[in-house]
Order: sequence, then C-alpha cells, then structure tokens
Amino acid sequence: MTQPQTPLSDEELIAYFENALPPEARAALEERLAADPEARAKLEDWGAQDAAIRALYGTSPDAPVPERLTDVLRVPAAPRPVRAPLRLAAMLALLAIGGTGGWVSHAWLGPEAGATQLAEAALTAHGTYVVEVVHPVEVPASQREHLDTWMSKRMGTQMRPPDLAASGFALMGGRILPSEDGPAGLYMYENADGKRITLYVSPQRDKADSAFEYAGHGTTQSLYWKDGGLGYAVVGDMPRDRLRDLAIEAYDQML
Amino acid sequence: MNTLDEIEAQIPALRRYAHALMRDAEAGDDLVQDCLERAVAGHRARRADGSLRAWLFSILINRHRDLMRRAPRPGHLVAVDDLAVEPSRPPGQEDHMALRETEAAIARLPDDQRRALLLVVLEGASFNEAAAALDIPLGTLMSRLARAREALRGMTGRERPGRPTPARHPAGRPER
Repeated sequence: MTQPQTPLSDEELIAYFENALPPEARAALEERLAADPEARAKLEDWGAQDAAIRALYGTSPDAPVPERLTDVLRVPAAPRPVRAPLRLAAMLALLAIGGTGGWVSHAWLGPEAGATQLAEAALTAHGTYVVEVVHPVEVPASQREHLDTWMSKRMGTQMRPPDLAASGFALMGGRILPSEDGPAGLYMYENADGKRITLYVSPQRDKADSAFEYAGHGTTQSLYWKDGGLGYAVVGDMPRDRLRDLAIEAYDQML
Repeated sequence: MNTLDEIEAQIPALRRYAHALMRDAEAGDDLVQDCLERAVAGHRARRADGSLRAWLFSILINRHRDLMRRAPRPGHLVAVDDLAVEPSRPPGQEDHMALRETEAAIARLPDDQRRALLLVVLEGASFNEAAAALDIPLGTLMSRLARAREALRGMTGRERPGRPTPARHPAGRPER
C-alpha cells in the first residue's frame, strides 16, 4: 500500500503550511508527510520562524500613531502644515530686539558657529557668483522644470525657488554647491536695474529652527534663518529693510 | 466611513510592516508617510473593486523598492549582535539568542524574499493578496516564500549536521 513517494517539494509544503490547500489535497499531503521526517522538521522550523518574526516585529497595532502620519490624511489639499503667522511675527520681533546685536562681522565667529557658518557660506557663495557674467547660474530659469527636479533630487527635499516678482526680482536660475552638511542650493535673482540677490539654502545638522538674523561683509548683507532642518539666507547689496522684505517674501513661499 | 478613514485604519498594519522591512521604527514611519502621501493624492483615481489594503501595501512596497534601489541594501551586512529592533514582547532569556539570529538572518535575505515573507507572516496576507500587493504571479510568490524560509533555516543553523538533508534543492538558494 505504501508506495515509494517523491519527497514533498518546498512549494507543496508552503501551500500546506499557509493553509492554502483544499481539504482533499491537504489530506493527501498529510499522508505523505507522515513518511517524510525531513519535511516535518521543516514545518516545525517554519513555525518557529513565524513565532520569532512576530516576536520581533509584531508591535501591537494600538501603539499611538505619530501625528505626522495622521496629519497626512487630515490636510489632503496641503500636505505641509500651514504656517502660523504668529511665528513669523515672533521671528521679526526677535530681529528687532536683536538689532545691531545680531550683526556678525566677517572676522568674528561667535559662539553660535552653526548659524554663522550658514551666513558665511551664503555670503561667500553670493560673492563668488553674482559677479559672474557668463555662468552666473548652472541651470537657467528658462528650464524651470528641470531646475526644480534637479535641485530637489540633489537636496533630497522639495525645492521650489520663491517668486520675488512683487519686489521686482526675477529668477535667473540656480546651482548646487557643496556645504558642510551636504549639497546646498543657490538661487539667483536680478531686478530691472541689474541688481542681483541670492537665496542660499543648505541642510543643517542642527535641526532647531531659529529667528531671523543679520550678518554682513561691508555693504553686502545677509538675513538668515533656520526652519525645518534647512538653513536659508537671502544675500544682497541693499539696506536691511529691503532685505528683510525680500526675506519675508521668500519665507512665506518656501514652506 | 470614507476612504481617508479606511486608509487611516490601515496605518498600524502599514507601520508594523514598514518597521520590519526597514528594521528601524523611524525609517519605517518615513516609508509609511511617503506611502500615505501617495495614497491621499491617488485614492480618487483608484479602481474601486480591489482591496484598499492590498492597494496601500502595494504603494508601500513600490516605495520600498525605489528606496532600496537608491540606497542598495543599507545594513545588508548586519552584525549578529546588532539587534536593531526591540522585541515587542520580552522574550525568555534562552529565546533571546534565537531572536537575534532570526533578526540578523532576515536582514540578510534578498529584499524581494523579505518583502514576501513579512507580508505573509506579519500581516497574515493570503497568497492572492500578497501576490497582488507584490505584483507577482502566485507561483513566484510561493517559490519566493519557500526560498526565504529555507534561507532563514540555513542561516540560523536549523539544518543541523546530524539531520538527513536529502530534500535540499540541487539548485541551491539563489534561484530563478
């Protein structure tokens, strides 16, 4: 009655193990299983694998779901949280209080080196590229779609340069620059008078947000801040009030 | 219950699976967030007949595939003593070693095998559901599961030398 049988294949065993066989097939397989100690040992080990996997990763589904996940579902139209105007007001208030105290000169690197590094990098980049006549930018604004996908890809985050037309500045284009904490982006704008400003965006190791602060070399001024793990700096040769208005315009659009 | 509520109801399962795939809670939640953003953007265009759950898992799996392509197997060579995940139930002392071995062995599985195995074991997906979410034929799924399980057995030393091992496929593990 018991005839020599072909050993059970792993595929057959998997179907049996996962309870995916119709009753007759299951019964027939169990008969063969009785004569196949190797297959029985496999099934036993597979059961142990399941127990181990569930012990390792079977976190109870009632663990609190982080808000950042449920937020995605709450605001389907605008996945990014809408910025509270209060925060901007607070940042500007700090700026006013900081007044000249926020000034950082080229030669002086104060205790908050991370922030001044951002300003220094932005000022250096500005100084290097605004004087360029032939290649001020790597990708011109005429290739806007390419500019956005390329910069976003290199920066690892959605990058869209703000529209500063309200202040009379048109986007010329952008480039990628090396920085301490990874690729940084530099956007350049020009107004009808041929005055150029730059917006520098770089990843920050220190993820803490910051208020607006000024830094500058001579007549070149920078207004910089940190938000959501990125550092931003608007740089230009212009009075601080003008720069502040541009920074606010940029800030409102970057997030 | 609208679709967004139904999607929300699947978050715990998605997190559990993503956590296991990434072997890191934070990276797992990043993957889930990415998946949810796509789901929110695309749920209106989804065919109404298929299972929402399988659809969500297929989005997550596709994101994981992209991620692994971009960063080829980070942590593929995980040291055995690097138990990246706190076991969700405190195991007995003698089980601890076995868990660590399994953790390390899963980390060494090829990505496609790991995705299939965890989907079936952790989420209790049926063969049809799993094949749909992974977008592979049923036969491929079954052989993938079989290979994953036998690879785990080999890596965790379950195939003891004293045991007869005739049924081992001559083709060995790396198949296709």
